Amino acid sequence: MYRLFLAIRYLLTRPINLLGMGGIAIGVWALVVVVSLFSGFLKVVEDHVQASSSDIVVSQLPPWSEWPVLRDEIMADPNVAGAAPRLLHYGLLIAPGKRPPPAPLPGRGALHGGDQPFLFVFGVDPALEAQTTQFGQWLRHLDIPDELRVADVNDPLAAHNGTPTVLIGLERMQREGLRVGDALKLTTANLKDDGEGKRTAVKIEVDLIVAGAYQTEHGGFDGNNVFVAKQTLQQELFPEAPHHVQEVAVRIHDKSQLSETADRLQRLVERATERNQRGYGQVQTWSEKNAPFLANVAHQRELMKIVLTVIMVVAAFLMLATLSMMVTEKTADIGILTAMGGTPFGVTTVFLSCGLVITAAGVVLGLVSGVITGIYLEEIRQAVLWAFGIDLFPLDVYNLTRVPCRIEPLWLVQVAGMAMVTGLIVSVLPALRAARHDPLISLRGV
Amino acid sequence: MTAVLSASGITKNYAIGKREIPVLRGVDLSIEPGEKVALLGTSGAGKSTLLHLLGLLDKPTSGTISYDGQPVQSLPVAERARLRHQQIGFVFQFYHLIPELTALQNVLLARMMGSSVLQYWGQRKRAKQSAIAMLEHVGLGERLHHRPTELSGGERQRVAIARALLAEPKVVLADEPTGNLDSHTAKEVVDLMFSIQQERQLAFLLVTHDEGLALRCDRIVRMKDGRIVDQNNQDAENNA
Repeated sequence: MYRLFLAIRYLLTRPINLLGMGGIAIGVWALVVVVSLFSGFLKVVEDHVQASSSDIVVSQLPPWSEWPVLRDEIMADPNVAGAAPRLLHYGLLIAPGKRPPPAPLPGRGALHGGDQPFLFVFGVDPALEAQTTQFGQWLRHLDIPDELRVADVNDPLAAHNGTPTVLIGLERMQREGLRVGDALKLTTANLKDDGEGKRTAVKIEVDLIVAGAYQTEHGGFDGNNVFVAKQTLQQELFPEAPHHVQEVAVRIHDKSQLSETADRLQRLVERATERNQRGYGQVQTWSEKNAPFLANVAHQRELMKIVLTVIMVVAAFLMLATLSMMVTEKTADIGILTAMGGTPFGVTTVFLSCGLVITAAGVVLGLVSGVITGIYLEEIRQAVLWAFGIDLFPLDVYNLTRVPCRIEPLWLVQVAGMAMVTGLIVSVLPALRAARHDPLISLRGV
Repeated sequence: MTAVLSASGITKNYAIGKREIPVLRGVDLSIEPGEKVALLGTSGAGKSTLLHLLGLLDKPTSGTISYDGQPVQSLPVAERARLRHQQIGFVFQFYHLIPELTALQNVLLARMMGSSVLQYWGQRKRAKQSAIAMLEHVGLGERLHHRPTELSGGERQRVAIARALLAEPKVVLADEPTGNLDSHTAKEVVDLMFSIQQERQLAFLLVTHDEGLALRCDRIVRMKDGRIVDQNNQDAENNA
């Protein structure tokens, strides 16, 4: 009993110990808030990426892939709800007589979107695409102003007076001042075989009319992708293969069977594209398809954990210093405790308990304040913006409506555990020094 | 009567570098229940060293220390600590109160030493009542919640006495308990100690330089150069 009692009394009567407790609390708070912010951001990004993707994508299909064959194979799977063919190319989309879009700005990547000179051009069948992705909702997005909406959501890529049309991301349209009905030119190239096995690049130019804007929640997708009708790309790139398909978007019924369905489809696609006893094509789930991007965000979160752990280490050294100072000052007490029946282990426990009580108090304070800060992060952002005019987390950059925060109980337990272990380690050293102190030295005189 | 505390052939050497310095050179001493023994001697005679050995705070180089006839000098650390808690009360010249605690808490600490949190929780009210009664007994009923820095030297020593006695020891070892007090306060403290000793029939070993104080004890043991050079019984002398 005396160990805990003395530990608490020492702490309550020595305000300097609050330094160590404050340090631990700040470390825990930072780890909870920043990592919860990153976890929330990662979740939002995952949701946005998923919302701009089909459940499964079949890609890297060989030149002999035929949509009717693949469709029949894929649709035969009981968990497949829909499939849509795609052609995928890239090119420069410019308004005739205008300068091409600027080169990418330093430090801005695909996540920000909208400033890449080259775009991915999806050739799609709008009706089938709407069955496999949220294509229809992208066209009806509330952010799209009326003047930039497509004329007919059910047939958004209908030719305009015989000229094929294009759907462009809302942000890009607004930034480049494009309007519905504007004429654009898609400049691209294709490799042509001269019949002797030599492949040369042939320039292709396609006149397009802006059909309207689309908007997903994933800014990186909208900025880098445009949609045209599949037959538009078909005629320019594969005029001799009207049923050729480069990519298939697949929607499934039971999302919990995502991986299993992808595995089955992989075998089906390989069978459908088999040539010379080898199957082709790659089947990926939406998360596998976007794995590098998602892993990048997750990696940043892990780096942040390491950086913030340094705060904990600094707090630990602070605690070590204050506890060591306390042991030095309390040598007289060590003598009398021993005389009253204390053992070296008991004396160790007194000072160890001090360290653990400091750590536990810091952990509780840090966890509580961290969770409260996480819950009210958006309100805090607004308050700082109102008071100082500083926007700590610009929401529009990431297409967010509020600062994301995801408090994961497992992470709270890990942070608390890590802090307690750190506290234990830095408490053991001064406590052992106290136990090694000869009580007779302090009893012989002060 | 069986000695509550006895020591025979006690030697103690301290190593300084490669040299062994003998501090005690064969000490034999026994104290009976209710006996007051004064240990007199010049500085360096080995009084405090003997007191620490008898209080199981240190181990002798050779010799035997017994409590109630049982040798204890070779017991494990935890057993020695338990024995210190149950059998021995210490009173020191510099009081050695814990400055963060009030007078009451300093005394209660003696009760907490041998109990787990749960054990103490079950008996906390009784323990507090005993501590208050002990402090009232030593005249500090009005100073329960004062910290050591708010008490005079005499009051601090009274708290130390109360702390030493709360665990109801059989033996009290006092190392110059009045060495830091003025003569008037010293007399009050000694009167108090001896009255309690008389009430409880405690074995009392008192290390002192004060011949006057020693004369109030039942027996005076004189030490010189690590040996007992003289032991006389006050009652026998007075009777003679």
